[in-house]
Amino acid sequence: MEVMVNDLDRWVEVAKDCKYLPENETMKLIDFCFDILVEEPNVIDVDTPVTICGDIHGQFYDLEELFRTGGSVPATKYIFMGDFVDRGYYSLETLTRLLTLKARYPSRIYLLRGNHESRQITQVYGFYDECLSKYGNANTWKAFCRLFDVMSIAALVDNTVLCVHGGLSPDITTLDQIRTIERNIEIPHKGAFCDLVWSDPDDGVEGWATSPRGAGWLFGQKVLKEFMDINKLDLLARAHQLVQEGIKYVFDDQLVTVWSAPNYCYRCGNVAAILELQNAKQRTAKIFQAVPENQRDIPPRQITPYFL
Amino acid sequence: MDLQGPTKKILRETDVATWQASQAYRDYLKFLRDLNQAVMGKENQSKTTDTPIVHSLISMLNTLDKWIDETPPVQQAQRFGNQAFRTFHGRLTQDASKILQEALPEITSSPSVEELKAYLLDSFGNSTRIDYGTGHEANFIIFLCCLSKLGLITKEDFTPLVTKVFKRYLELCRKLQLTYKMEPAGSHGVWSLDDFQFVPFIWGSAQLVDRPLLDTRSYLDEQTVERLKDDFLFMGCIDFINKVKSGPFSEHSNQLWNISAVPSWSKINLGLFKKYEAEVLQKFPVVQHILFGSLFSFDPVK
Repeated sequence: MEVMVNDLDRWVEVAKDCKYLPENETMKLIDFCFDILVEEPNVIDVDTPVTICGDIHGQFYDLEELFRTGGSVPATKYIFMGDFVDRGYYSLETLTRLLTLKARYPSRIYLLRGNHESRQITQVYGFYDECLSKYGNANTWKAFCRLFDVMSIAALVDNTVLCVHGGLSPDITTLDQIRTIERNIEIPHKGAFCDLVWSDPDDGVEGWATSPRGAGWLFGQKVLKEFMDINKLDLLARAHQLVQEGIKYVFDDQLVTVWSAPNYCYRCGNVAAILELQNAKQRTAKIFQAVPENQRDIPPRQITPYFL
Repeated sequence: MDLQGPTKKILRETDVATWQASQAYRDYLKFLRDLNQAVMGKENQSKTTDTPIVHSLISMLNTLDKWIDETPPVQQAQRFGNQAFRTFHGRLTQDASKILQEALPEITSSPSVEELKAYLLDSFGNSTRIDYGTGHEANFIIFLCCLSKLGLITKEDFTPLVTKVFKRYLELCRKLQLTYKMEPAGSHGVWSLDDFQFVPFIWGSAQLVDRPLLDTRSYLDEQTVERLKDDFLFMGCIDFINKVKSGPFSEHSNQLWNISAVPSWSKINLGLFKKYEAEVLQKFPVVQHILFGSLFSFDPVK
């Protein structure tokens, strides 16, 4: 496949302005990223300094605010813990932005899979409709979903901080068990892979309890502590749950939820956060807010065929 | 007439075609169109006196509203889906026969009562998931449609059925959504018309047909919406969106933003019917939950 460095630079420039690429170029970008992502292990080893980010959900302008807060790529190295798409109006532009950066600076930005990087979920929460609406067909959505299948599940920072979208699984005791998951598939409805992107911590739970989400589990402090001890970890960093204040530690600071989508769903009024790890012990949370209305472009009004 | 307990009939994707060819589908669409016609160009405050059935239905909804006040949200860690909704819904399930009997004493001995009860119970959201969506909205309309089939609702009731009963129903649902932080059921987010409702936009657009002072862009102006929210269902819906959402309207309500470019309300009205059929009535994930019985019959159109 013929992709030149100046193609990559041009794509980065286009995507910076809240634009998406024409279908044929998006396909090229996806292919290019596929070859990078498929080579990454299930658990990517990353060194500090690195900045950890939570859900983005198609909030393009707020992602730019995130980069203004945490520094731009490649100067700052990032781990994004999934849920790039759905909910917001700019999922396509957001994913394009992240993928162009991944293509151009593959070792400065890591994209983990969230529960929304799935065929089934994107058909319900907007990304499918968005691709259909913006491209007029589902070709790119299908290709994006193939790309989601090869995204890594977790990142391990300095051997002590584990990053994963959702949480733990009763089927996973050791990191090696995550490393051997056959990940190149649609996210299953149950089992280890499903749990890692769907589970939530819960104060009121001792061990494991059924999740109200209908997938994954609720896990308590005891379960987490055991997992941390066995795998000699200091911190489990995860996203997946809205946190009004952007970031929240629980379970004696062994688990942190990082949430990076301010004013989630245009209604929650929450702030967002990213977590900078200078080294394994030194961490700084940075808070940012939704970009105000007057600093965003207004999408054109389009009349759909129903109304012609 | 052979009366049976209502059951699910749309069990797989291919059953959607059978549903479209059913008596129920035809009855539902006809009812929707009849009520649409009944409010064409009419404000909510149009001077219709309450017929007994309209009065009874509003009283019934008022009772449910009181139950919300008596069932305050509980303290819980989970941000969405307050579990007190299950208490509210449990009371509804337990007392549905009683409130139906109070509102519609004439059906007490009717074998249709179980079927009506089933539709009413599904009209206010799902108690397991603590969510609400267009499927629940449809159940309330099926409930009304069945009352019409039983002859309890007649043509004279059609206008206030929309401008008073359905308006009251919407107010109740909004209160439920806010009080118990209900999730939008199966909403496609910004790619849906609205998180929770669809039909008030249809009937609401009919109300705005031939109103030269209120063009199709009028609802983009917050002050106009604020002024007219009680007079037109469409404005009431936009007002609710403006209250619960922040950020650009063009992003969070992109479908409504696009619709404001349609040149006339009658085109919007026709378009919304088409959209409703395609994106709600013919969508398996929504209609798989619908129950069918003797009044609302899955039998093919006769």
